Amino acid sequence: MTHAVKFHPGLMLLEQYVEGSLSADVALAVSAHIDLCPHCQQQSKDITNDQASSLAEQQVNSRDAEQEWQQMLDFITSQPAISADTGTSIKVKSQVASVSVNGKTFEIPRALARLAEQRNKWLHLGGIATAKLPTADKQHVSLLYIDKGTEVPNHTHLGLEMTLVLAGKIVDENGEYGVGDLLINSPDDTHTPRTLADEDCLCLSVLSAPLKFNKGLTRLLNPLQQFFY
Amino acid sequence: MLETTALSGHHAGSTKQKRINQRMTIETDNEQRTGQWEDALTLVALHQDKAAYAELFSYFAPRLRAFGIKMFGNEQQAMEMVQDAMLNVWRKARLFDASRGCASTWIFTIARNVRFDMLRKKQSRKDDISADDLWFDGDYPEQESNNSDNWDTILMSEKLAPHFDGLPPAQRMVMQKVYLEEKSHQEVSDELAIPLGTVKSRIRLALDRLREALDDTRS
Repeated sequence: MTHAVKFHPGLMLLEQYVEGSLSADVALAVSAHIDLCPHCQQQSKDITNDQASSLAEQQVNSRDAEQEWQQMLDFITSQPAISADTGTSIKVKSQVASVSVNGKTFEIPRALARLAEQRNKWLHLGGIATAKLPTADKQHVSLLYIDKGTEVPNHTHLGLEMTLVLAGKIVDENGEYGVGDLLINSPDDTHTPRTLADEDCLCLSVLSAPLKFNKGLTRLLNPLQQFFY
Repeated sequence: MLETTALSGHHAGSTKQKRINQRMTIETDNEQRTGQWEDALTLVALHQDKAAYAELFSYFAPRLRAFGIKMFGNEQQAMEMVQDAMLNVWRKARLFDASRGCASTWIFTIARNVRFDMLRKKQSRKDDISADDLWFDGDYPEQESNNSDNWDTILMSEKLAPHFDGLPPAQRMVMQKVYLEEKSHQEVSDELAIPLGTVKSRIRLALDRLREALDDTRS
């Protein structure tokens, strides 16, 4: 049962991803989405061809930096090429990776394989567990597991929140999201995501600022927001 | 209304056409032709052919430099990126696989990845997101272009005309040649001196963009 991905990054986001101008954490969510979405695989390939051809079509003044070019060319061609053996070993890639939580094992996309292996410990709170992935200081990238029949308290995002469904299903006021769907919530969006009674959910979560919980007792969670961040 | 679409498209084209003609005559001096760079890379891969590499270098290095200056905003880092990327082209030429894409795409992605990792190293430690995590150096299953045919009729509708003008120039040019001048993909590739794959990519992207634009108008 393959799920048709319904929520994609927009063309502009994909263009910035291909160009390499997105911040690394956002690019990681986009990349993992692409691993799960044939439509966006084709699109990012097309954008890559488009951008590469534009680069090759540019008019440049070949007189610029003429001397430097000669030196650089001499330096490069004095370097050894890699041997055939190293060539093949460099190409070895991407076995399917998986993570285990709550007694279950989930397959995860290629883009997350290396980082997920180095994840921090799972922290549990109610039916929710998070494990931070090792990324640079300012980024908050984590795996988020939500047990079946669990509601994440209603919250507002102080920054950008990206959630990519890796397994299972999650619903909120705006709809239902399955494997490969990418939810992007901007600052001030408020929502209450929850899982269905019979299906849990594993997500990748990228936050550019902490969450703020809005209602009653859950406001007490605000001091605990590091848990989600 | 239909005529207006065709006319405005045609008009936009004739000025563009001159520019392209000019550019093509310039490029003919360099013997710029689809397939040339793939052949050169093969020679480098097989014999470490320095002459073939020098040709690749003199064409791509200045263009990568322009890309680097745009992305870094300074020349020093741009040149560092060019050297690192072009060194990879020299050393890893045998990893190039023409069946998976053309030479310019391969070289562009190398430079993009080098640049990304240069930025990351500056900012942080080794446990971090790297270019290898973000960009899969392999093939994804090709999803065959689904329904461009249904688009012929929609393309002609007046609703699309304003969006057509909003396409990036490179994509609009290809669309115009294919849909208004009714040229084959191969003819467009020859005429614009861009790889056939890029012609197909630009058509798909333009269709996606038009679809997005239409969806936005509806909602």
